[in-house]
Amino acid sequence: MMLRFLFFVAALAASAVAGAQTVTFGASVQLTGPVANTGRYYKDAYDFAIEKINAAGGVKVGSTQQKIALKLLDNQSDVNLSVRQYSQLLSQDKVNFLLGPFASNFVLADSSIAEKSSVPMVQGGGASDEIYTRGYKYIFGTLPAASDYFGSTIDALAKLNPAPKTVALLYADDSFDVSVAKGTRELLKKAGLTTVLDERYSTNASDFSVLLSRIKSGNADVVLVAGHETEVLNFIRQAKSLGVSPKLYSFTVGVPSADFRQALGKDANGASGMTAWLPSTSLKDQWFGDAEAFAKAWKAKFGYDPDYHAAAGVAAVEAFVNAIQNAGSTDPQKVRDALAKVSFDSVYGHIAFNDKGQISLPQIMIQIQDDKVVPIFAGKDFINKLVYPLPPWDKR
Amino acid sequence: MELLAQVLVSGVLLGGLYALMALGLALVWGVLNIVNLSHGALIMLGAYTSYFLFTVWHIDPFVTLPITAVVLFIVGYAIERGILNFVIRGPMFNTLLITFGIEVILTYLAQLWFSADFRAINPTYAGANFAIAGITIPTVQVLVFAIALGLTIAMWLFLLHTRIGRGIRASAQNLVAARLYGVDPKRIYALTFGLGAALAGVTGGLYGTVSQINPYIGGPLTAKSFAIAIIGGLDNPLGVIVGGLVLGIVESLTALYFGSTYRDVASFGVLLLVLILRPSGLLGRTA
Amino acid sequence: MKSTAGIVVSAFVVALLAALPWYGNTVMLQFGISVLLLATLAQGWNIIGGYTGYASFGNSVFYGLGAYGVAIAMTQFNLPFWVGMLLGLALAVVFAALLGLAVLRLRGHYFAIATLGLAFIMTAIVSNLEIAGRNIGLVLPLLKSDVLFYELALGLLVLVTLTVFWLSRSRFGLGLVAIRENEEGAAVMGVNTTLYKVLAFMLSAAFTGLAGGIYAYYITFIDPVGVFDVSLNVKMIIMAVFGGPGSVLGPVVGAFVLSTISEVLATKVTSFASMFFGIVIVIAVVFMPRGIAHLVENFRRTGWRYFAGNVRTHRL
Repeated sequence: MMLRFLFFVAALAASAVAGAQTVTFGASVQLTGPVANTGRYYKDAYDFAIEKINAAGGVKVGSTQQKIALKLLDNQSDVNLSVRQYSQLLSQDKVNFLLGPFASNFVLADSSIAEKSSVPMVQGGGASDEIYTRGYKYIFGTLPAASDYFGSTIDALAKLNPAPKTVALLYADDSFDVSVAKGTRELLKKAGLTTVLDERYSTNASDFSVLLSRIKSGNADVVLVAGHETEVLNFIRQAKSLGVSPKLYSFTVGVPSADFRQALGKDANGASGMTAWLPSTSLKDQWFGDAEAFAKAWKAKFGYDPDYHAAAGVAAVEAFVNAIQNAGSTDPQKVRDALAKVSFDSVYGHIAFNDKGQISLPQIMIQIQDDKVVPIFAGKDFINKLVYPLPPWDKR
Repeated sequence: MELLAQVLVSGVLLGGLYALMALGLALVWGVLNIVNLSHGALIMLGAYTSYFLFTVWHIDPFVTLPITAVVLFIVGYAIERGILNFVIRGPMFNTLLITFGIEVILTYLAQLWFSADFRAINPTYAGANFAIAGITIPTVQVLVFAIALGLTIAMWLFLLHTRIGRGIRASAQNLVAARLYGVDPKRIYALTFGLGAALAGVTGGLYGTVSQINPYIGGPLTAKSFAIAIIGGLDNPLGVIVGGLVLGIVESLTALYFGSTYRDVASFGVLLLVLILRPSGLLGRTA
Repeated sequence: MKSTAGIVVSAFVVALLAALPWYGNTVMLQFGISVLLLATLAQGWNIIGGYTGYASFGNSVFYGLGAYGVAIAMTQFNLPFWVGMLLGLALAVVFAALLGLAVLRLRGHYFAIATLGLAFIMTAIVSNLEIAGRNIGLVLPLLKSDVLFYELALGLLVLVTLTVFWLSRSRFGLGLVAIRENEEGAAVMGVNTTLYKVLAFMLSAAFTGLAGGIYAYYITFIDPVGVFDVSLNVKMIIMAVFGGPGSVLGPVVGAFVLSTISEVLATKVTSFASMFFGIVIVIAVVFMPRGIAHLVENFRRTGWRYFAGNVRTHRL
């Protein structure tokens, strides 16, 4: 009995001591379930960033140097479970701050917990407009605005010769993709392009033959698709088997990700997309050196190439560390205020949040050429040559 | 007009895949009265089996089909003998619940062994097509349609004209009498379920060639298979062809004239109509 | 439980639960809300599935309608929460009446599949409705009072359990049991089977819809795929069946036991949690298909042979 009491006291003391020296982050991420293949980017990102920061001494809170700990739970791609887990992380595990899940609909539900509890959450998984129009003060995001995703692509189209005239816009019916479509419509109008097909489809659709037939009969020069990886994969394969060859097609997901390109093999070539992040040496970082070194280290550690999801996850952790150091404390309110004011360079690019809590980064247009991701257009100029028009399927 | 013709052709070919999906389920349900909620998971396992045979041993996907069929037959047989056997004579509701439990377990194991990454079976001819009168017809889908038709007819003949087939039907109708005639019910049930699983496996192998594979494709496929089986009618294996075609065409036309987001409304709407107006299905005998 | 002792114990348990916000912590409160709502769903299902014998796989439709009733009222029309609850309730009950008339003519598997089809079609329709936010869903105003939700959920559970208790003693309830055991016989004996079935369906829908309404306001964000979730259907059925369908307290016990185990796993062991659910279902259906209530009653008589007996009766 005495032994148990002593053990209890010792454990209490140890946790008190440990607690005094660590800053704990909590996150509920999709490690199993239908979107797990993207969810794992976030787990790996959070782990990697925290590991690197701890190795460099941790985070400076006022006058003490503290280590960072992470409590990560698997929400099995179930939004309702994710919400309960965030509640639990705050009330039972007593984490200091929250890191976000993947996907806008998860962020929409989970962020309410953070807001209700007045604890800051920085997420790199959701970009839809809804997240930022609720007037929430405690939510910050490292993914740039959904409405601008096709921005650089449309700018590039205007500079092509001969310029394309007709566009088909397809989008899934979830929060993020609807936001993308809304923004894209404005951009297309401004660029003077004619939309011959503007169609919403159900998330997780597997048959695109009707849409593809309509694209073919509508003679669209360019096809823009805002959807999920499985849909885009089906779209491309069915485009091939139905012989639908637009001059250019661009997708909001898939193109930057390694397993997507691997699943399609040679059929991935020619597909365009966008990314707010490329592993270039011009992005310097306090802990990782630069983005290229980061990508190499990531590949060595995890066995696959990182993409912008991974970088956005790392950015979330770095934003917190920066804010905590600026605030000089782990008080949620003070850190929240510090987050609103952060401005620093990182492996992800320049991190600063606008007054709604969202980061602002330009998208870079990319294209898959010879099984590699090639940056094509950013800002006002072409970086590399775009393969345009795409040769018809039977001639590839 | 050409667009409509193309869409109709796509709908018919989709119907072929749908028919194949539902065949295994309809067999087990119509004959054994087992409602198998893990049917989609078996399709998923079949897809992975063909995928690994293709990727690791470079066997042509169509050639992997018989192997996948055998593998899934064994899996189905084991599930029936090992788990389902214990609840068959209970209320039929219990088989619904238990097969749901099996589905959860199989999905979890698939995620554990194969990870959530998606795969696709991508032989060089995956995107091949040919044109007739200005309509593009994907080659693989035509083959799927042919296989679906062939297997359905083979199943029909099997049930009607072979000894084992008649034994299966006899057990379904009257177990006691069948026993008196020397039928071993345990073997027959396990065999039938194994056949259903084998058919699911073949579907999976073909599905992986036209779409993509991940551990979670099972659920929606089960739901679709139910709709197809009921619309066609469970009394007659040929019903799945009717069910599949009806659904494939209805979905495609709905997508063309109303919008792609209304596909599910249409397909489940047809299901409900059939259930309310003619529950035995389009090819079923009205009781 | 017929004795006054039973009633006193029940009242005590309810009082204890009602006082939780003052002696428990936030985690227990939030877990409590979740479990109480699930228990209500299981109990609601018990009315149509346990007592009437019509295994509905479509109760998630009423859950979703209740949730959307509250969400639409509050976000599109700026009406207060209780008005939204009434709207949700009305939607659920009216749909139950209409859909019930259509599908309650079917038996067994067909009824189950028809209700499953209803769940899918409702998801598909709502994801196309502008007023419901299409597939994106609706964002409700934030209310920082989990205590309110907890007490509401507890109150609802007490209400539905009392209803089931009343059912177990009333003529209406006996009529439902008669329908379950032998529908033709019940009709011959003068039971208006159609009326009784539809009423049971509407009653079941009412409580399910109210639970959905509370949930919507609590979670502040709903979308079609989240509230019309098919696996939610299966969960409530499993809890009812595990606890004992056709009994008064069975579903509540089933919900509490399974939820606790599931939640503990989901937060400690994480990935194993989903497989656990599958294994529990398989074992429960094989060894105790009549639920905990039946097990408790009969274990005293037959002991461990209860399990073997179940297997022997049901296996081929």
